Amino acid sequence: MSNIHGKAYAMNTVSPMKPWKTYILRLFFFIWRHYKPLGDGLVQLSFIHFARWVIVPRCAFPRLSEQQPKDDLQYDYLFFFSNFNGTWNQYIDAFSAVLFFGLNNIWRWSEKFPGSVPVTPFKSFIVRGQVETDYYYTAYPHATTNDVKAAHRVQAALGDFARQMEGMPPAKFADAYLQFLVKVQGDLGETGEAPVGT
Amino acid sequence: MANKSGSIYGLTILSPVKDDPHAEISPSLAVRMYLQTLPVDGRGPFGRVSSTHMARLVVLDDVVYFGMPSCEEHLKSKYLIFESNFDGELEPYLKQLAAEASDEVHNIWQHCIGYPGVQNVDAFIAYMKRCQVETTFYFADVNNKTVQQTLQALQTQSAVASFIEKNQGKPSEELQPAFIEFMSRLNKAPRPKPGSTKGKELTDELL
Amino acid sequence: MSKLDITDIQGFALRGYNFPFARFLFLKISDKQKGRECIGRLVKYITTGERWDQGKPKTTVNIAFTYKGLVALGLPEPSLLSFPVEFVQGMKARGAILSDTGKNSPHHWDAVWEHEVHAWLGVFAQSQPDLEYQCSELLTLLQESGGATKIDSQDAGALQINGQITTKEHFGYTDGFGNPEFMGVEKDSQPGQGKLTADGKWTPLATGELLLEYADEAGELPVAPLPHLLASNGTFMVYRKLHQNVATFRKYLMEKGALYPGGTEKLASKFIGRWRDGTPVELSPSEPSPAIVGDKSRNVNFTFGNDLDGARCPVGAHVRRTNPRDAFGFNGKLINRRRISRRGMPYGPYTPEDQPGTDDEEHGMIFMALNASLFRQFEFVQQQWIEYGNDARQGNDKDILIGNHGGSGKVMIQGTTDPNNPPFLCGALPNFVELRGGDYFFVPSITALRMIAANSVDPR
Repeated sequence: MSNIHGKAYAMNTVSPMKPWKTYILRLFFFIWRHYKPLGDGLVQLSFIHFARWVIVPRCAFPRLSEQQPKDDLQYDYLFFFSNFNGTWNQYIDAFSAVLFFGLNNIWRWSEKFPGSVPVTPFKSFIVRGQVETDYYYTAYPHATTNDVKAAHRVQAALGDFARQMEGMPPAKFADAYLQFLVKVQGDLGETGEAPVGT
Repeated sequence: MANKSGSIYGLTILSPVKDDPHAEISPSLAVRMYLQTLPVDGRGPFGRVSSTHMARLVVLDDVVYFGMPSCEEHLKSKYLIFESNFDGELEPYLKQLAAEASDEVHNIWQHCIGYPGVQNVDAFIAYMKRCQVETTFYFADVNNKTVQQTLQALQTQSAVASFIEKNQGKPSEELQPAFIEFMSRLNKAPRPKPGSTKGKELTDELL
Repeated sequence: MSKLDITDIQGFALRGYNFPFARFLFLKISDKQKGRECIGRLVKYITTGERWDQGKPKTTVNIAFTYKGLVALGLPEPSLLSFPVEFVQGMKARGAILSDTGKNSPHHWDAVWEHEVHAWLGVFAQSQPDLEYQCSELLTLLQESGGATKIDSQDAGALQINGQITTKEHFGYTDGFGNPEFMGVEKDSQPGQGKLTADGKWTPLATGELLLEYADEAGELPVAPLPHLLASNGTFMVYRKLHQNVATFRKYLMEKGALYPGGTEKLASKFIGRWRDGTPVELSPSEPSPAIVGDKSRNVNFTFGNDLDGARCPVGAHVRRTNPRDAFGFNGKLINRRRISRRGMPYGPYTPEDQPGTDDEEHGMIFMALNASLFRQFEFVQQQWIEYGNDARQGNDKDILIGNHGGSGKVMIQGTTDPNNPPFLCGALPNFVELRGGDYFFVPSITALRMIAANSVDPR
């Protein structure tokens, strides 16, 4: 059982929301889908492969048979599933430092949310609501999302260069190769194991 | 639609776990114990369900109580959460799950209420869809590349870095044929396997 | 913010003294009561942050303690347990986080670190005779008190080249640029040392990034021990003896420099992000510039926002890795909590540039850095920015200068299509620097020292 596989960390959190507040959160997510300031922040931070928020209303926990006891919940529940790179502390430090506006608008509807700034009470809130992962698989454990994006850029540049180079006289090759190097020079970091979790 | 970002599907499934007060090992504990035995790399089930970028299984024992003044409440069932990020559409994925990972799927979901088995694929798909919850907001940093494209790109990235290092400073007359040879080897290289951590060694062998 | 009482803060925490001679004494507390009495007698020697209006003293003395040292002095347990976890564990136990493995592992450390080191007594001096005199006085005091013994000592000193005292280090680079500025700490202000504001200006960092019991950059107080008076005006120091493989470095630079179209000196500048004379490569990528180096308003005043692809200053250059400034976007907000104040000093004799040098001689850098949170500041930079490269989009590539390469790994020097500034890959990296020991120390205020000496530290 581990939250960590290679360079990816599988975080799961769950927090209760009063049902009337759920509508506001849904509205916020709707706006966010169409007007993307928080999305841009996430892309710029560039340490999440995939993340999702899932609202499970209090009547919506799946009930598959009459024999299964019926739940009688007061709260809706907000689940958060993240596949991120870096250590737990690093991740939350970064969110608190630069994405506090978006985070506040997501979690302020959850009970007992202390705000995402300052970071220490926010970390306590996350710890309280975090559920451990029992099994975690990643198809590319030694690559962060930065590594993946860099790799795609290199693949594209190589494809372009290979096509361009077909039938090229040797005299022109050196220049073309140099231009190819300049194109990929920032994207050649090695992949490998992650630093230890802290 | 909220479950998708680009070509990536964000699947969230909450399967209620059986409750058996007479069992020596409770169903939820049995799931946990079984999951602990599964390899997390490509030898595990998702290495075969190869459109899976990342997937997790979480036994949710209960909802969380944050303390007063919020109210304490409890779920009457435990849930098995299955969160997956994969290429393509839901039904083909579930079909692949049933076909490529049938043993593991069975060993996990047999402890869940209403699970019909994997033999009848349509019944299995219907069951999983009953357990599906809508992803409210989904973010995928790279949402337009398949698992295979990503693995290929990572292999290329490593190979290109090695090529550059080995051929640095060579004159053009040597560099061009070396590059042509390199491309030929790279194109013939075996497809990289999902879930593997052996990437660098394989690239070094390749070149 | 409240005004700092500089007479309560050890001077070493507030600034580098720039004295050319130093000795660091490592002490073991032999007896609780006598140890406290010894500290009580040492307090009057401790150099504070007071201004030297009457001229510089001949020597300075400062003191810091490991966790085991505080235990040996008999601080109450609840107080001891309230210290941050990383300090309690000590640096040796944090090896996995710091990548102090392989050649940097404790197997290769100096013998002193096999002992329990309880205290560090740092003496800086204007001359060698002054240093000897002061150390002798201190050792006599220790002996007379019976409270502490010296286990070992480490000499350090500015490199002297042709009889001149310099700020060079053993690889030939000019050191000592770019320490952070903090609110309330008076020092020569230089643009580029603080943090960036939204309109591109520089402003000091929050005091709590250096000193305990002050607000930090996260808008709260850093983790600090109790009682408040024990922590207040104190800080934490990391001490690391970094052996430098001068021969390996010179050989590597020469070999690669011969292949690098820009030449050896330019390649050397790309490793660090400064030319050997200290000119920032970001401001002057083609040649060193005495005009810039000599101008305090310029020599640390640069950003990387217009050089995101590293064509001027490589993305992996040492100064860029350790202080990315605005390179990660968000106006540098991700950097502001990761700054450390350096007080390092070379040790060992200088090897003239025209010689190949050796790897075996005792020479290197005593790296000392001060920060309010070892975990959030030094350890983070070491783990994430030195021994790893993901934040800089460099994958697992390590810092070229001090990374624990182990003979493999690489750094890409980014360039342009200009034949004198091409992309250039440096692979098969050896360890230019090897760790020979160190630990984490608490640098108490004068008040805290008196409390420790008087055994009046309350549990709460």
